[in-house]
Amino acid sequence: MSTPPYPLWSAGDPPALLASRDLERGELIFPAVPDNSPLAERHEVVAVERVGTVYTFTIIHPGAKSGLAPYALGYVDFPGPVRIFGRLQGKAQPAIGDHYEPRADAAFGYVFESVGA
Amino acid sequence: MRETSIIGGAMTPFGRHAGVLAPELAQRAILDAIADAGIEKDDIQAIYCANVLGGMILGQLIVRDLGFKGIPVYNVENACASGATGVHLARHALMAQQYDTVLVLGIEQLTALGGGTIPLQRNDHKTELYAKAGMVLPAVYAMRGTRFLHERGASREDLAAIAVKNRHHGSLNEYAQQRTETTLEEVLASRMIADPLTLLQCCPSQVDGAAAVILSSRRRSAKRPVKVLASVVVSGVREQADDDILDAEITARAARQAYEQAGLGPDDVDVVELHDAFTIAELLYYEALGLADHGEAVSLLKSGATRVGGRVPVNPSGGLLSKGHPLGATGVAQMVEIMWHLRGRAGARQAQGAKVGLTQCTGGGIAGVDHAASSVHLLGV
Repeated sequence: MSTPPYPLWSAGDPPALLASRDLERGELIFPAVPDNSPLAERHEVVAVERVGTVYTFTIIHPGAKSGLAPYALGYVDFPGPVRIFGRLQGKAQPAIGDHYEPRADAAFGYVFESVGA
Repeated sequence: MRETSIIGGAMTPFGRHAGVLAPELAQRAILDAIADAGIEKDDIQAIYCANVLGGMILGQLIVRDLGFKGIPVYNVENACASGATGVHLARHALMAQQYDTVLVLGIEQLTALGGGTIPLQRNDHKTELYAKAGMVLPAVYAMRGTRFLHERGASREDLAAIAVKNRHHGSLNEYAQQRTETTLEEVLASRMIADPLTLLQCCPSQVDGAAAVILSSRRRSAKRPVKVLASVVVSGVREQADDDILDAEITARAARQAYEQAGLGPDDVDVVELHDAFTIAELLYYEALGLADHGEAVSLLKSGATRVGGRVPVNPSGGLLSKGHPLGATGVAQMVEIMWHLRGRAGARQAQGAKVGLTQCTGGGIAGVDHAASSVHLLGV
C-alpha cells in the first residue's frame, strides 16, 4: 500500500494504529485527519488502544472464478471509543465479542489479528 | 402552498434490455406516463432525470428527440435515492409555483457494468481505505444481518423468508425481473455471498429499467390524482462509535419527518414499497418505518401482515429482490407501484382498499454513515 496522506501507524515499538481526536468534543475518528485537511487544526493524532472487541462481522465468499478463499470482515470496537472496519484474520470463524488487535499489513495498511480472550 | 399530485405514471419491465440505449429505454416510460396522465407533451414545463452511473447530461440526451421546446432539464443523483430525490425537488418547484406540471424520470442500465457490486464513492480517505480492505454494500448489509441474528435471536430462515415473500409478489408482477417463486430451502441453499446473505437474498445486479411520473398542481384529467402527502430527503450523519447498526437511523429519521409532514402515523399506511436491496434491510425497515415496534420485525413478518392480502402489504411489486434495482429508476418505480394500488389498478397484487401508501429508498456508497441519502414519501387518495 502506498504511503497514505494521513498518519496510519505510530513510529513507536510496537507501533500503534492512529486515529484523530476532536479537540472540542473528544470524539475519535478513523482514519486520522490528513495534515492538508482544513479540519486538521481541530484534531490531534492519538493512538488506538491495542485490543478491540468484534461488534459484528461477515465472511465474504468470492465467486469460484476468482480463485480467492473466503475472508472475514468486521467492525471492531476499541476503547475511546472508536469503531474501525477491517479484515479479521487468525481465526476461521470470528464471533461477536472476540478480541482482535491491529497489525500492519502491506496490502491493506492494517488488519485485525485474533488474540486470546 | 400548492397541493401536488402524481397524475400519471409508467415504467418499463425491469430486466436485461440488451442493446437498448438510454433514449429508447426511457422514452417508453415517458410516453406511457404522459398518456396515463391524459396530458399533452407541451403541458410539461420541466424535466427531472434521476440517474447514477449513466454519465453527464443523460436527461437531455433522452428527451432530445421527443420535441420538448428547450424546457429545463435537471439531472439528479443521490445514489439509490436519486429517483425519489427527483420527485422531491420537482415537488418543491411546484409548491413554489415555478411550474404547474413536470415530468420526473428515473433510469439505470446496470447491465452495462457487467454485473457485480455497485462501486463505492472512493474519492474519500475513509471510503478508499475501507474499500481496499473489502467494504462492499453486500458486506455492509451482511454485518447488519450478523448483528440482527445475534441480538434478536432471529434465524437464517427469518431472513430467507423475506425473499420467499417478495419472490411470491414478484410472480404476480409483469414488470419484475424475477417472476418465479422460490422456497426457503432454495434461498438458503443458493450461493453464499456475504454470510449470512445468500445469492437469493441479494437484489439482482444485472438489470436495466426506467420509470416516469407526471407531477402537477393542477387537476388535469378525470383519473384520480395521487396526492403527495409528504416528501422527505435526508442525508447521513457521521456514525458514532457506539451506534446501534440495527437502528437504520437515516430511514427512521426520514420516516419521522414524513409522518409529521403528513399528519399521519404508521397505522395509517395501507401499502409500502421499501428498499429491500437485501433481505435484512426489509426487516430493519419494518421497525425504522414504525410498522413494527422495536424488536418485533420478525413477528410482523410471521404474522402475514406484510404479504399481499395482509394488513399492510410490503413490496407487493416484489421489491428490489424481485424487480432488481436499477438505481436511478427505483424510487420512481416505487411511486408508480403505489399509484397503481391507490388507483385500484394493481391486479392480482392489489392492496385492497388502499388509501395511503409509503415509499422508502436509501442510497449507500460511502463509509462512515448509515447511508448517504434516504427518502420517504407518503402518497394518498
